[in-house]
This record gives sequence, structure tokens and C-alpha cells, in this order.
Amino acid sequence: MIPIRCFSCGKPISAYFKEYQERVKDGEKPKKVLDDLGLKRYCCRRMLISHVDTW
Amino acid sequence: MMVQGDLEAGEGEGSKMDINMKEKSENEITLIIEGADTSFVNAIRRTSMTEVPKLAIEYVNMIKNDSSMFDEIIVHRLGLIPLKSDKEAINGILMPSECDCDDYCPRCSVSLTLKRKGPGIVYSKDLISEDEKVVPVYDTIPILRLREDENIELEAIAQLGLGMEHAKWKPTTACAYKYYPMITIGEECEQCYECVKACPRGILEEGPEKPKVVNIEDCAMCKTCMRACDREAIKVGYKEGSFIFKMETDGSIPPKEVLERACDILMEKADNITKKC
Repeated sequence: MIPIRCFSCGKPISAYFKEYQERVKDGEKPKKVLDDLGLKRYCCRRMLISHVDTW
Repeated sequence: MMVQGDLEAGEGEGSKMDINMKEKSENEITLIIEGADTSFVNAIRRTSMTEVPKLAIEYVNMIKNDSSMFDEIIVHRLGLIPLKSDKEAINGILMPSECDCDDYCPRCSVSLTLKRKGPGIVYSKDLISEDEKVVPVYDTIPILRLREDENIELEAIAQLGLGMEHAKWKPTTACAYKYYPMITIGEECEQCYECVKACPRGILEEGPEKPKVVNIEDCAMCKTCMRACDREAIKVGYKEGSFIFKMETDGSIPPKEVLERACDILMEKADNITKKC
């Protein structure tokens, strides 16, 4: 499961994970999705980019 | 907003402090503060971060957990979920330290329940609050995943707390200030425009006589332009007593209210000093 908040700044990034995953799967560029979601800092962006949901 | 008084703010700048709001959105605020000093701006920043109370889940009564995730992990995740804590929501809820109960009671806490049957992901929207004003800020935070025939049932108790005790009670995420940057280009400039090419933030543009500063507030004061200039014509400095103050909240309290409450707390502390003298 994705961590609730960004490790560095504490922004609740997990709320955007579902949308991010779906949109990237549909072929959108991760950069564009992250910009749309309003994740400006690289600490929050790496949380979504580098997360792998294992299950 | 002008604040006048006998306070000494800034060196030789008089006692006038000038604040301009540059940007404001639901979760973010950017202020330009002039005529203040570092200690004052830092006091506001630190009070906003660590001393403004907000609600977060503190106790959890786990009734049933069949999931593959440990109780402790679920409880930790629940704690980090931001809950609406604006003035209206926390009105009438006591700080646990001011309440005479041992752990929690209806006067100092809000109860939320979670009951779900698998399969599927349990989201923060599945948390049902007894108080309709105290709800998770985001509905889409995944808490845990349940497989076929797995159940989760719990009661979560939210209490007020301070950011200095645990990060879950911090209303702000990024909360920082920087000096107001100032770029001066001297007569030595030979219009090579190396500084324009070097600037990673695109602050400088080619002008007719010398480079033009376009968006000074975006300057990170990295001094790359100074290093690119062979003639030492460009200088990056800062305006004495001027700050760019940026605050972002996790959505639980609007940034303006965080600032208001931080100032109230600071004022109360100052009042306490004068009362004791």
C-alpha cells in the first residue's frame, strides 16, 4: 500500500494515487498527470513515481 | 494590512510592517512581508507548524481485523489521515490535557467507525464519523486491502493535539519563508548574456542594454548567474527585512485560519508575560 503522506513534507499524496495509476495506465505521461494533480515538489512526485503496489 | 505599534521591526526601517498577499488558494497562501525581522517571521512559522491544534486519530479499538496487514500498521495509517479541523469543526472539543478524563471521553474526542467486508480496497470515505463536521479531508486515501471473506471492524477515536508531539497533528505541510531576492547588474556588463543562459529558473531575459530581471520572486538565490559572469557585473543579494512567506496545509485547516490561530497563540503567550510582571 502506498504511504498516506509524503515522507519529506507530509502532504497527503496517497489520495491521488488511484487517479495517477489509472491515468498513467491509459497512456498519459507521468509528468503531465503529476502537474495536473498539483504535486509541485520533487519529494511528493517521487512518492508516486517510485511506488510499486505489490499484492 | 498595516500593523503599527512601538515594536521595533527591521533595522532602521521604522516600525511599519507591510504585508501583501501574493497568492491564495484553498490549501496554499503566499505572503510578501516587508519591514519585519527574521525572529518575528520565524516565530509565526514555528507557531503555525507546531502549536496550532488539529484533530487526528489517536486511539483505535480494533474489533475485527482479518486482513494481512498488522493492527499497528493500520492504526498508524489511520492516524495520518487528515481530518477537517477548522474553527467550526473543533468548536466545543477540549484539548485532552484540559479534560479531566483519563484517556478519552465524548468531551475531548470524536469517534469514527469503520466496518467493511472484502474483497476490495478500504478507503478513507468508509470511515463514518459521529460528527458530520469532523470527516476525512480526502475520500480517496487507501487504508488497507481486503481479500475474499476478510472483514475489518474498528472504532477510531480522534483527539486534538499539537504538531510538536506528533507530525499527524501538524496542520501545515510545506511552511517556509525566504529573503526577498534582489539582483543588481552593474556598469561592467558587456551584454554577453551568459547569465541569462545559466539561470536555471529563467529569471533573466535579454534586454537592450543589460539583462532584464523578469520574475524576481522565483529566484532561488543559487548564484549560478554570478558564476557565469566573467566581469562580476551581476550580484545576487536580498532585501533587508523583506520575506516571501509560503504556507501549504494538508487541507484540514485553511491556511488563513492557521495564521490567525498562530498569531492568537503568540499573542496569548505575550500577554502571559506581561501579566506575570
